Amino acid sequence: MSDGLGNILLDLFPLMWSGMITGCLYALGALGLVMIFKSSQVVNFSHGNVAGFAAFLIYGFSSGVLLNLSWGVAVLLAMIAVVAIAFLIYAVISPLVFESELTATISTLGFGLIAQGATLLIFGADIVNLDLPIPRFSMSFLGLFITGYDLTVLAVAVVTIGTLFFVVDYTKLGIAFRAISENPFAAEVCGLNLRSIHLFSWIVAAILGVVGALLIVPTTFLSVTTVAAFMLQAFAAAVIGGFASLPGSLVGGILIGILMNLFTFYVSAEFTSTFLLVLILLALNVFPNGILARAGGSRV
Amino acid sequence: MTEVLSVSGLSVFYGTSAQAVENVSFAVGDGQVVTLLGANGAGKTSIMKAIAGLIPSRGEILFGGEPISALPARERVKRGIIYVPEGREIVANMSVRENLVLGGYHLAARDRRTRTEMVLDLFPEIANKADRAAWRLSGGEQQMLAIGRGLMAAPKLLLLDEPSLGLAPMLVRRVFDRLAAIRRESDLAIVLVEQNLAMSMRICDELHFLRGGRIIGHRTAADLKDNAARQEAIDAYLGAASAA
Repeated sequence: MSDGLGNILLDLFPLMWSGMITGCLYALGALGLVMIFKSSQVVNFSHGNVAGFAAFLIYGFSSGVLLNLSWGVAVLLAMIAVVAIAFLIYAVISPLVFESELTATISTLGFGLIAQGATLLIFGADIVNLDLPIPRFSMSFLGLFITGYDLTVLAVAVVTIGTLFFVVDYTKLGIAFRAISENPFAAEVCGLNLRSIHLFSWIVAAILGVVGALLIVPTTFLSVTTVAAFMLQAFAAAVIGGFASLPGSLVGGILIGILMNLFTFYVSAEFTSTFLLVLILLALNVFPNGILARAGGSRV
Repeated sequence: MTEVLSVSGLSVFYGTSAQAVENVSFAVGDGQVVTLLGANGAGKTSIMKAIAGLIPSRGEILFGGEPISALPARERVKRGIIYVPEGREIVANMSVRENLVLGGYHLAARDRRTRTEMVLDLFPEIANKADRAAWRLSGGEQQMLAIGRGLMAAPKLLLLDEPSLGLAPMLVRRVFDRLAAIRRESDLAIVLVEQNLAMSMRICDELHFLRGGRIIGHRTAADLKDNAARQEAIDAYLGAASAA
């Protein structure tokens, strides 16, 4: 009996650790989705396909398929490309954002299909290998098997999310973002340019998406649907956070990572997508305003 | 007296047929307080929003002698036209200080700090709650924050929309005491929309009476010093609508 419990615990902690690592990546994707939704009330369904296109661009720029550049330059170029794409998408849908958020949301599905089509057109439907120059080592710590990949993901996630939270909480730009998210009329009355703050969210989200995509690819392979599938988990993380809370998305991402890992190991690897959809449904019913929802609002 | 604002032939439509404001003209001089008085639906808020550039309008709006009708709301804010909306519209989950930063968003960091201190000096009720979330303030304090946020942008023209709405009489008095102080200490021009005539009389120079989207008459504050004259004007211009 105690041996059985010991074995479960021996499995449990490594599963939770690796789930947390993957969850950090889901959180990066979710934070982008939530930033866009908070500022412009649009659910960006093109997020995964655009990030996937950017991952393919990095592959293309660094493997000789398009160019033969160093990895760092390839990432930089892909980032510039993805910022330009975010700018373009927002420029096209911004008139819709002020008329109907639903129409704007549906139009993002179209941009997702365009990004997927462009990926297929340029890179084909083959699976490719995109390797990252991350430190290759492993060590055992308190029974956990920790790899260089784990620590890289953790470091990148902490720095990226920490920087984002700092900007949102303590800078003038962050105040503008929060004001537009909560009360766009008040922001407009104060003379803010709503479009430029929306654009800030779209660009930051695009960059977060590429970072997440780049770090998830080494655990699998790169195909035209890899990153879009990864974004489904990010979407679930955003739902758990109530689609309106940046800290909620972080918690949601880590929770999804851990729960998915536990389900895959203890229950079934085949039904993980079903489990994910059940989690989304549960979250919508149990925490409709997000797991970190709190009381607030105007008193008078 | 220099003319700060001149509105002529202003009309506002909602959709294709509903006309909220019809051919309204008035002017506001430097340091002058002009009150727009009328029942609900008279078009007061629509006029304010049109001047602030928040809704489309027809007609001519001159600010400091220059036409501004084609400018978006944010450009009008940069020029010093600040709208303090009905219902406060503060950002409830941001702190008092953050709301003030929002008000002075276009200022240089040093000017913003100086003005924040100035506003907090003017409204001591919110000064000791500067780091508290705005939704935790009382109604009167929220109104003071809304006016303070408007003052943050170094306005030349303040468009104050129903500052007494939903406040207890004692709080209304306190808010208008502050407005009177602002009036005494600056040459700020104010357009005030207010249903509380007694309070608006404390600070205004001129009143325009509105009904059905039109200005139907005006009086200077001096004309209305006497209670009987005031009541006579109200009855003549607004009649039962005002009494209600």
